[in-house]
This record gives sequence, C-alpha cells and structure tokens, in this order.
Amino acid sequence: MRVVIAEDNALLREGMVLLLSSAGHEVVAVAATGPEVLPTLLEHRPDVAVLDVRMPPGFRDEGLRAALAARREIPALPVLVLSQYVEETYAAELLGGGASGVGYLLKDRVGRVDEFLDALDRVASGGTALDPEVVTELLTRRRDDPLESLTPREREVLHLMAEGQDNATIAKTLVVSDRAVSKHIGNVFAKLGLPPSDSGHRRVLAVLAYLKKD
Amino acid sequence: MTDDLDEMERAVGRAGRASAQLLTAAGLAVVSYFFLALLVFTACTALLVIGAGMVPETALLLHRLTGYKRRKVAAWTGEPLPEAYAQLTGTLPERVRTAVKDPGTRQDLRWYALHCVYGMLLPCLALPVWFTGLVVDGVWCGALRRRAVVLPLIERLADLDAAWSRALLMPSPEARRTAELAERVEELTVTRAGAVAAHGAELRRIERDLHDGAQARLVALSMRVGLAKRAYENNPDMTRKLLDDAQDQAEEALTELRHVVRGIHPPILTDRGLVGAVRALAAGSGLDVRVDVVGLDGEPAPADGTGPAEGTGPAGNPGSPGDPGSPGGTASAAVPVGAPRAPAAVEAAAYFVVAEALTNAAKHSGADRASVRLERTADRLRLTVRDEGRGGADDSGRGGSGLLGMRRRVAALDGTVDMTSPVGGPTVIEVELPCVW
Repeated sequence: MRVVIAEDNALLREGMVLLLSSAGHEVVAVAATGPEVLPTLLEHRPDVAVLDVRMPPGFRDEGLRAALAARREIPALPVLVLSQYVEETYAAELLGGGASGVGYLLKDRVGRVDEFLDALDRVASGGTALDPEVVTELLTRRRDDPLESLTPREREVLHLMAEGQDNATIAKTLVVSDRAVSKHIGNVFAKLGLPPSDSGHRRVLAVLAYLKKD
Repeated sequence: MTDDLDEMERAVGRAGRASAQLLTAAGLAVVSYFFLALLVFTACTALLVIGAGMVPETALLLHRLTGYKRRKVAAWTGEPLPEAYAQLTGTLPERVRTAVKDPGTRQDLRWYALHCVYGMLLPCLALPVWFTGLVVDGVWCGALRRRAVVLPLIERLADLDAAWSRALLMPSPEARRTAELAERVEELTVTRAGAVAAHGAELRRIERDLHDGAQARLVALSMRVGLAKRAYENNPDMTRKLLDDAQDQAEEALTELRHVVRGIHPPILTDRGLVGAVRALAAGSGLDVRVDVVGLDGEPAPADGTGPAEGTGPAGNPGSPGDPGSPGGTASAAVPVGAPRAPAAVEAAAYFVVAEALTNAAKHSGADRASVRLERTADRLRLTVRDEGRGGADDSGRGGSGLLGMRRRVAALDGTVDMTSPVGGPTVIEVELPCVW
C-alpha cells in the first residue's frame, strides 16, 4: 500500500517508516508539520494516511483537523489517526463524517505490530479501527440500561464490534467458533433493540450510535 | 386608660434601656480609672526603657477596651463602627514603635481621656432625670395623658454618649484603607502559603507517581530486554517470553504516564482550550449536559454537549473550510487565535472542578440532566455546575474527598467555592477564580 505519514517526532517517524516498509508498504511521503499535511495528501493521494494528532506549529490538534479537512477534500480517503491520548470527543468528530475508512488509535498500539498492521489494512479497505480505550469509555459511562442485561461474553463481543473488528477476528480473539460469534452478535442486537446489520462499518456505526445515545 | 399606661410603660422601658447603655459607659469609665494606673505605670517604666515590653501589651488591652465600646455604640446606633489598627508584629522594638506610632492607638487614647469624663458624667446626669421623670411624667403622661417629656431625656443622654464616642472612635478613611490593605495582605499571605504548599504536595505526588510507576516499569522492561539478549542464542522460547513481558511493561508504563500527564494538565486543554475541554467533559459524562459560555471564545453552539455520533455532534457541523494546518483554523470547535485565555493554572483548576462536579452528579445525584456555565467577568472566571438530582451533597459525605480536593485547588488560586445542595436538589456549585485576562 502507498502510505503518507504525518508525524513531527523524528524518532517515531523513522520507526514508523521502518515498520511499514518492513511490512511491505511503501511510504510515499512524510509530513512533519501541520500545514504540510493537506498539500502532501493532495499531491500523493495515498491508499491510507497515518496522522499524528499533535503537530507543529501549534502543538494542539493540527493532525486531527488535517484529517477532517483531508476527508472533505478527498472523500473516502482512509485516515488512521494516532495520538498519545484518546478523547471520545475526537472519535466522535472523526466518525461524524462516516465511519468508513477511519481509524483512531493510541500510539501505544503501534508496538503490537501485527495488530497495528491489521488495523491499518482494515482502515485502508474502508473499515473502522477504534481504540479499545475509547470503547471502554463509551461502555463504562452508561449506567441504566439494556447493557446490564448482556452476558460478559456478549459485552466482549460488543466491545470488539465497536472497535471495528470483523467476525473472524472476534472469533479468533475470544477463541470461539464463527457460528458462536454470529449468535452472540444476534443476541446483542436483539437485547439492545438494534436492527440486524451486516458486518463492516455500518455495524460499527449502529453500535457507536447506540453507545453515544442518552 | 390602658393606652396611657402603655405610653408611660413604654417611656419607662426606653429610659431603662438607655440607662443600661449609660451604665455600661459608667462601668467602662470605672474600669478606665483602674486602667489609668496601668497606663501611667507603663508610660513611666517605658521611659526608663525597662517597661518597654509592656507597651504593645498595653496597646492591645486598650484596643480591647475600645473594641468593647465600639460594639456597644454600634448596637445602640444600629450602625457598624469599624476599627483600624496597625498589625503588631515583628521584634519587640518594632512592635513598640508600631504601637506608639499607630494613629488608631492614639485615637483610642484620645477617646480614653475624654471618656473618663463624659463616660461618668452622663450617667450621673441621668440619675436626677430619673427622679424628676418618674414624678413629672407620672403626672403628665400617666394622669394627664400627654406624651412623656422628661424620661426621653435619658435616651438623649445615651445618644450623646454614642455620638461622642462614635466621633472619637471612627477611624479616618485613610486608616481604614491601611487596615483593609493589611488585612488583604494577611489573607494573601495565607492563600499564597496554601498555594505553595499545594504546589509542593502536587510535585511530590507527581514525583512519587513517576518513580513508583513508569520509572519502575521501564527498569523492569530494560532488565527483561537484557535477559532476552542473553537467552537469545540458547533459549528462543525464553527469549520470546521475556520480550512479551517487556512489551507488556512498556505498555503499562505508557498507560501510567498518560494518567500522570492527565493529572498535571489535561492534554485536551492545550488542544481545545477550556471551552472545548469542558464540552468534551460534558459529552463524556453520561448526562445530558447543557453548556453555556459567556464572554469566552469557543464555538457558540450547539448548547447540547452530547449527541449521537452522527448528527449534531461537534463534527456533524463541518465548520468553515480554511487552512487546516494553522492552530484554531477550521473545525467548529476551534478557539479563535487571539482569544483571551485564562492562565493555564486557572483553566486546569476550572477543568478539574467541572470534571469533579459532573462525576459526582453522574455517580451520586441520580440526575440525568445537568448544566455548566462558564462566564468571564472583568477580573475573574466564574463557573457554575448545576444538576437536577436529589441534592444533599456535603463536603464530609459522599464524594467528600473530591469536593475537598476541589476546594483546596480553588483556594490555592485565591478563588471561592460556594455549594448549595438542599435535600431534594438541585445541587449547585459556584466557583470563582480570580484571573487576569
């Protein structure tokens, strides 16, 4: 895949280039400051962009803004946003324009190379990758409600669905059969009163919309 | 007939109260005579240097004496009679100098000298007035049904005492300003000491967190990598296990660092400013929170901090297109460049107050709605958090330590916390933080 990286920290930038090249991806360009990001993306039109949230000159949320702007300019451009910390609000903003081809992960996750590359592939192919910490925040802050009626296993399934994992990955992670996963998903949707939905980002959206609902 | 009796009774009652007032004046005068001996003694010994140590103590005694008179006069006239003295602090020579030079003390001495005379004279005048009054008014008022004429004179005597005392004891505006300033300095000294102590405690907490947490984990990680290098040749399984452990340690260290950083200064404050950060708190609180902002920059709407992932959330409204790279450039949540921002410490305190209040509301109040108001005034940041829950929150009860921490944090910045939480709700927390914009 052709990848553009936006990261101001040279150490992390080089590490990322190394990691992606070793996995057979091509890093076509890197941007080290916020204002460079959009022109670079427009010029190279990569298969996926990996963006840091906090970048010069302001060291605030330039990367996130660039991601939002880029998706307005290049619809359906897959972006994977990385950050030292995750904010539910930022996730909501990123997903506001649709969950297809959107990723939002803690930088820590890069260390789990296989999982990170997996998430990158998922985002590049129009899927979703949401950091487990964001999902945990979404899940824990709801008090009332049908979530209580889920079994622990169903909760785990819901958690993984919200992260954007597909059925096969969920089955592998929980060490159960595909059929069992489908059954759990069916139960979750029934208990939460959600219309049955195919896999992919539409399912993620349904789940997230439910979790954000008050 | 009863009316006339009442009139007489009222006149006697009023005269009685006035007499009580005059009697305390007389009492004070008597005390003054004894005090005079002390005063003279102090003055003489002070001249011989030996008794210098008694000067400040005598001044304080004098202040207490006039303090009593001030309260009595204030009670009689219904108007406050403030006092204003220089603070008697420092070494003995300094205290002596201050006590002698203090205009407040000199004023007290002036009053003291004159009160020795009129404090005794006026009550003595009251005595014959009583006798004549009882006879004259007894006939005039009791029998002839006229208004009492003589007994009210006793009240006038008490008024006279109050008026003279007031005139003699009222501190000059300048002295009052000085005293107010001194009080303010005292207050600031205390709050600054509190702030320094709070800051010190905070630094120690951060140091401990880093030392016991991230630092320790990094040491463990480094050890495991070292062991893995040794095991690399002979024991690949062991190596893999050690590297797995090392990665776990690294991730835990990162998680802990993130917590520490959040505790020092929440990163979203840097990214989005106070308004954006508070909106994020509101959205993540699990409550339906309304956020009102007055005089601070931030996006004007939506008022509803929550909202579904798609739709009315901040990102659902794509803002004006613009230069994506410049800080505060495009998205709707932008804080415009050049907008006045409170100092970082004030923003952080405000953020933690809102976070704590919303957490308490979500956990304990049973409310599902709350509102947050941020208001910028000329010299402060005012914030109000209100929930429609069951109330009954107090500093000692549930969530007590959180509220206490909130008070400390605010007090360290010379701010105020005002909480009302009647049983049945609503709970309203009002915080004011002084702040230069």
